[in-house]
Amino acid sequence: MTAAQTIETSPAPRQLQRPTRQLTALLRRRETLLIALMAIVIAISTGAHPYFWAAGNFGSILADSMVITLLALGETFVMLGRGIDLSVGVIMGLAAITVGFQIQDHGMTLLPALFLGAAVGVALGIGNALLVAAMRLPPIIATLGTLGVYSGLEFVVTNGNQVNTIPNEFTNLASNQVLPGIPEIFLYSLPLILIAALVLRHTVFGRSVYAVGDDAESAYRAGIPVRRVLFATYVIAGLLSGLAGVVFLIYTSGASATTGVNDNLTAIAAALIGGTALTGGRGGAFGALVGSVFLTLTLTAMSFFPEISDVWQPAGVGVLVLLAVLSDRRARQANFTARPRLRRLFR
Amino acid sequence: MTAMLELPKRWRLPGWGSWLAAALVAELIFFTLTTRHFAGGGTGMLDLSEQFAPTGVLSLGSALVILTGNIDLSVAANASLAAVVAGIALDHGMGTAVAVLLAIAAGTVVGIFNGIAVAVLGIDSLLVTLATQFIVTSIATSAAGQSPPGTLKPFPVSFQAIGQGSVAGIPNALLIFLILGLAVIVVVGYTTFGRSTVLVGYNRRAADYTGVGSLGTVIGVFMISGAVASLAGVLFAAYYNSAVPENAAVLLLPAITAVVLGGVDIFGGRGRIGEVIVAALLLGYLSQGMLLSGDSSLAVTMVTGLVLIGALVLKISLERNNRELLAARMRQIQGSFLRPERPG
Repeated sequence: MTAAQTIETSPAPRQLQRPTRQLTALLRRRETLLIALMAIVIAISTGAHPYFWAAGNFGSILADSMVITLLALGETFVMLGRGIDLSVGVIMGLAAITVGFQIQDHGMTLLPALFLGAAVGVALGIGNALLVAAMRLPPIIATLGTLGVYSGLEFVVTNGNQVNTIPNEFTNLASNQVLPGIPEIFLYSLPLILIAALVLRHTVFGRSVYAVGDDAESAYRAGIPVRRVLFATYVIAGLLSGLAGVVFLIYTSGASATTGVNDNLTAIAAALIGGTALTGGRGGAFGALVGSVFLTLTLTAMSFFPEISDVWQPAGVGVLVLLAVLSDRRARQANFTARPRLRRLFR
Repeated sequence: MTAMLELPKRWRLPGWGSWLAAALVAELIFFTLTTRHFAGGGTGMLDLSEQFAPTGVLSLGSALVILTGNIDLSVAANASLAAVVAGIALDHGMGTAVAVLLAIAAGTVVGIFNGIAVAVLGIDSLLVTLATQFIVTSIATSAAGQSPPGTLKPFPVSFQAIGQGSVAGIPNALLIFLILGLAVIVVVGYTTFGRSTVLVGYNRRAADYTGVGSLGTVIGVFMISGAVASLAGVLFAAYYNSAVPENAAVLLLPAITAVVLGGVDIFGGRGRIGEVIVAALLLGYLSQGMLLSGDSSLAVTMVTGLVLIGALVLKISLERNNRELLAARMRQIQGSFLRPERPG
């Protein structure tokens, strides 16, 4: 009884410090930093090219970033559990193709399309999950293998055809703006991100993902079903990638056999920029959103400057990843013999 | 003296390399029987190796990196850069040797950058090379420009010979791959640097405490990986007689697949380069055989992925708990065949 009372009374003194503490914690968050950087990018681009500041432009940037956001969100779940999924892009591509043909040839409507996309994603995610959580293969190798298999499957499914007629009912979602600069598709994706954030922060499952990613051994000893949690993260990544496939159709109104092949690494980059660590246990759902919007915004801003050729866009992604990692002190585990030696060198 | 009891010879499960070699032989026989042009009068099979030699060379460099427990995702981009650098040098009228050296220098610089970022700054190698892969791709595409070198006027014959010529019927590209493979076997097995590579991968902390020093080893390994990758890029450009930067990017997945299929532990510290070479040949002939049989390159990617997953599941289940059990069971079966049932 006394123990319970002490636990209940102990937070009281901390209550006094809370407001400032919360403020500094908020300021230190990666998301805050990125939003500030976004404002700077927007200011510079608008200064140089006034037509950057147009509702249509921001709307298309947001709509453009939604695909990568959903992929990065799935990747966030996996990376929080100290895994990696190299196949999210091709899962998205397969879902886009499967759903796209149904829409194009059989006039499927939006709701069934979403369910079909999710089902394709979950099925492929289970494939990854079985290899990683049940067969216990190293995630990078297992998903490298499924990347090959799924991208081959994309070709089998398309059989040389491609999806190119998506009815306006779908594409309007990306072009219609509810508010200036906010496309409808963003409004519909936002609940997904909120749910993901709630699941990660406030459910037993979400906390288990963090625990497993932080230290699987301790999580196991604490009674967390480690393999079941890992299994679930890969299935969730598949689910979100499948939904991203439908969003891809809505945004680009087409899909082909190579859809998503190049998006695997971009999704990982967006999650990393959003502050999710590759070493597991750190990061969050909003990071995926802010990271991918920041990435898309920066790349779009780069394309507004005619002096910067489009071939430098990949380099932009690379530099952003490097900066994101360098700014995260805990992501660096320097060689512990190198540190003192370097310190001696520079003293 | 009583006669010694005759014990059956102790039967061991053959090592991973033997399985790979058996699979390679079976595959060659299969394609020779099913695909008309595969054997090509005996020399055709050798000529096919020109097409996958760059992948094999890349996998040698990657194997060294993976042995230290790191990974190098930038090898393919590095190969593109090297191809473009060599192409530009040749277009400016430089000799073949100078062009190749410049290309290798470019790759080495990228490798050293990777190594320093990994070893000194302590960033995860996956992140560093993910970033450099993007950056190097941009540099290569930008340097190649609108009309990449080799597309307007062909490279000199002496340069093309690197990828297309042959010595005594053996293609130069295959020779380069095998000689480099032998060199890497010697380096890993018989030099201080090679043994430190394995030790750093096995236990970096132990390596540091025993004074081996992971710093120099990791930087060295990334440097070699960069140099080897640029050699692969040179082979690629010489074979296709052009330096289109996007083309070499597809080499990354097959190269890493070959390393993993070759039994190198992705967490470092275990692996044999000889088995990587066999695995590269296995995958290379698999893809060429399938392409000759009329399958698309994406079907090849799919089968490569399936082979990778299947081989890993087999290998891990063999190693994890069944190895001893399986070997014991085999011994039992073998024993019952060799020893006639005793009467009574």
